[in-house]
Amino acid sequence: MEWRMLIEVLASFVGTLGFGYLFNIRGKKLLYAALGGMAAWALFLALGFWIESEVLRYFIVSLCSTVYAEILARRLKTPATTFCIINLIPLVPGGALYYTTTSALSGDLALFFPRLTNTVQLAVALSLGIVIVTAGCKLFLKKK
Amino acid sequence: MTTIEIHKLLSSVLEIEAMMIAAGAEIYRAEESARRVLEAYGMKQVDVYATTSNIIVSVETEDGAVKTHTRRVPQIATDIEKVHRLNDLVRRLSAAPIAMEAVSAEIDAVRQTPQYKTWVVTLFYGVIAAAFYLFFGGRHLVEFFASFGAGIVTGLLTFGLDKVKANKFLVKFLCAFCACMISFALKRVHCIDSVDYIIISNIMTLIPGIGLTNSLRDLFSGDSISGVLRLIEAALLALAIACGYIVTTFLFGGAV
Repeated sequence: MEWRMLIEVLASFVGTLGFGYLFNIRGKKLLYAALGGMAAWALFLALGFWIESEVLRYFIVSLCSTVYAEILARRLKTPATTFCIINLIPLVPGGALYYTTTSALSGDLALFFPRLTNTVQLAVALSLGIVIVTAGCKLFLKKK
Repeated sequence: MTTIEIHKLLSSVLEIEAMMIAAGAEIYRAEESARRVLEAYGMKQVDVYATTSNIIVSVETEDGAVKTHTRRVPQIATDIEKVHRLNDLVRRLSAAPIAMEAVSAEIDAVRQTPQYKTWVVTLFYGVIAAAFYLFFGGRHLVEFFASFGAGIVTGLLTFGLDKVKANKFLVKFLCAFCACMISFALKRVHCIDSVDYIIISNIMTLIPGIGLTNSLRDLFSGDSISGVLRLIEAALLALAIACGYIVTTFLFGGAV
């Protein structure tokens, strides 16, 4: 456990909490949403000890976060979107997107293409996780 | 039910559905909600079709007459608490239908959903930017506060421009532009060493993550049209943000 990781996990909690305020999430749900965002990033970092591929880790975290969102939604009788949107905020590839844009602007194509591919891969991994769980929940939990 | 009551019912259901979509609910949830409420009120053959901009509801009443209402969805402004309350209202209405006057009162109550104060939200724009500054690996005190300040400016700008109902692409562009200008200007006067983390952390507050997530949930629930509409909108918003950055770099002569 390094300092860097501790700072990142705490920052992801604060950042996610902030988004809760932006989207008008109130009461208990706000805390759960922020904890979810923190857990998502902690899981991502922890998986780094075993799995090297960032894309695969994104996919796994996205799966777990969406499951967390669906479970909480049923517990608190609120739409799953509440948590689904917020949990994955620390995983939004903002950095990757920025570096892709900078290399495009500086005309550095040798850097641009790998970065672009990486950004797209991360986004696809995130989306796949959300989609699989959403579809699965609809299939198995239809009758309730 | 009398004809007037049926019209009132349809109008109320549309109001609930439109508010749901505008507050950031998925399309299938809005359609499902309208169908459940109308069936609870004894309507036969309920047909609901919704997209992110338009809703059509058609019902067959007990005496065989067909009534159709349609409504334009107002501009989307994410409000999760409102979605929660509307969802709750739908749950109660479909379990035990109540009189039309009471439904109107309930809808009015939802409209009064409490909001966080403007200054609190503005402050959190700064807090998010500061938190993500650390998150992405920035470790410089001046840059940290610059990031916080740029976040506050973004928040103020968002509120100010929303108040005058500015175009949302323009809002994103101007926010990104201001945040980038602040960091580039600070770099120019040698207050900070690097603009990267400040810009990334401020882009985080602007990125249309909610649109993207909802677009995916819509797409894979079979609401292809709404999903595609949302996806295109998210892509255009991202492009507007990128433009803000690009314009700044050109103004500063490409000195990144």
